[in-house]
Amino acid sequence: MKKLAYILIILTSFGFTSAMAQDQLSPERKQAVDSLALEKIRDLSKYISIIGSKETPWSEANRVIDRAEELFMQGSEIGVSSLAKTEISYFVVRKYFERLMRLNYNKVEISWYNIEYVSDLQRQPDGTYVGVITIFQKFKGYDAEGRLVYQDTTKKDITVYVKRKETQIGGRLIGFWDVLLGDIRVKETSK
Amino acid sequence: MTKIVKSLSKTVMVLLVAAIAFGGATSCKSKKKIAREKAAAEYAIKVDQAKKDLLAIISGSTSWTADEMTERIAVIKSYNIDDNQIKDLIVKAEEKVEDVRAAEMRRAEEERMRREEDAKIRAAQSEFAVIDNQFDAIATAGTIDGSNSQIQQTLEYFETPDIPVLIIISKSEGFNDYDRPTTISKFLNYLKDKKSYKYKIEAVKRNSVGKITELELIVK
Repeated sequence: MKKLAYILIILTSFGFTSAMAQDQLSPERKQAVDSLALEKIRDLSKYISIIGSKETPWSEANRVIDRAEELFMQGSEIGVSSLAKTEISYFVVRKYFERLMRLNYNKVEISWYNIEYVSDLQRQPDGTYVGVITIFQKFKGYDAEGRLVYQDTTKKDITVYVKRKETQIGGRLIGFWDVLLGDIRVKETSK
Repeated sequence: MTKIVKSLSKTVMVLLVAAIAFGGATSCKSKKKIAREKAAAEYAIKVDQAKKDLLAIISGSTSWTADEMTERIAVIKSYNIDDNQIKDLIVKAEEKVEDVRAAEMRRAEEERMRREEDAKIRAAQSEFAVIDNQFDAIATAGTIDGSNSQIQQTLEYFETPDIPVLIIISKSEGFNDYDRPTTISKFLNYLKDKKSYKYKIEAVKRNSVGKITELELIVK
């Protein structure tokens, strides 16, 4: 019985060590995870551009809203600023996208650039990696005559959460990195 | 006087015959000796060359194949050289030939396996190329309708629109790191939205009718 207990302890510790080894990131794997998180931000940038575009059919925009929403942690908020107002309004993700889809312009162009980490992904005690990525957003709104009626550039900080999870697929246990975006905070708005 | 002449000519004749007989015998004896010496020299060259060849085989400094080495050893054996060193070298050379032959067979087997593996990879790549091209066509269709049409065509290759798609983001330390799993339907729409396909197919699983039931991609 004592022997069995020892064996169980050894096996359990092996499993624990293996799980730990998979959670501890080598520089090569860390780089892959960093890139994955940046790619999710680029995905969001693309989705925002599609949702905001007046050329996107309504059904497509709604499909893309669903995809974009999947990028975020539940309850996350996105900040909205304007050159006309000093205060920044925060909306839950879905609400933000729905407002974006209905903006009162005839044509909208949104592009993100200078996407980079301001705070590297750091491992938290619960195993989650947390980092902050900053982006610059260029917004342009046109009227029916095609005139540029509003434009601004906003610097935004996006909190990124990365956690290793496991799922069963086709009888195999797949370890994957789940990247979820948190709040998007407006840092600066300029013309 | 006549007697003296007759006697002299007889003596000359005898001397002549004796000279011819003695001279001919001496010449014959010399030819045999030369021939013997020549044969001995040729044998010495043969033995020397045999030694050199056997040593080259043993040391591996020859570019002969195992068959060529075997042939050369057979020729050397046919000389029946009565020399203990040569006999010893023949035994060692034959052992060496066996090693060379085994190495040649191993290399041939490795080459055969490599060719088979290459053929498998080429076959898989050409099999995947169809799907890869479909994915690329979705990403580069240029219009939403164009992409949607390509998506419908591509879905024909899959068992259902919900089959899992796994994306490898890193392969190291003996295991793969994946992105969050998605479905083929979502992935194809993702290609439409992103307008770029920057993955390649790593593996597919198919059902009994050849439809894909699981897809594994890797970031290029």
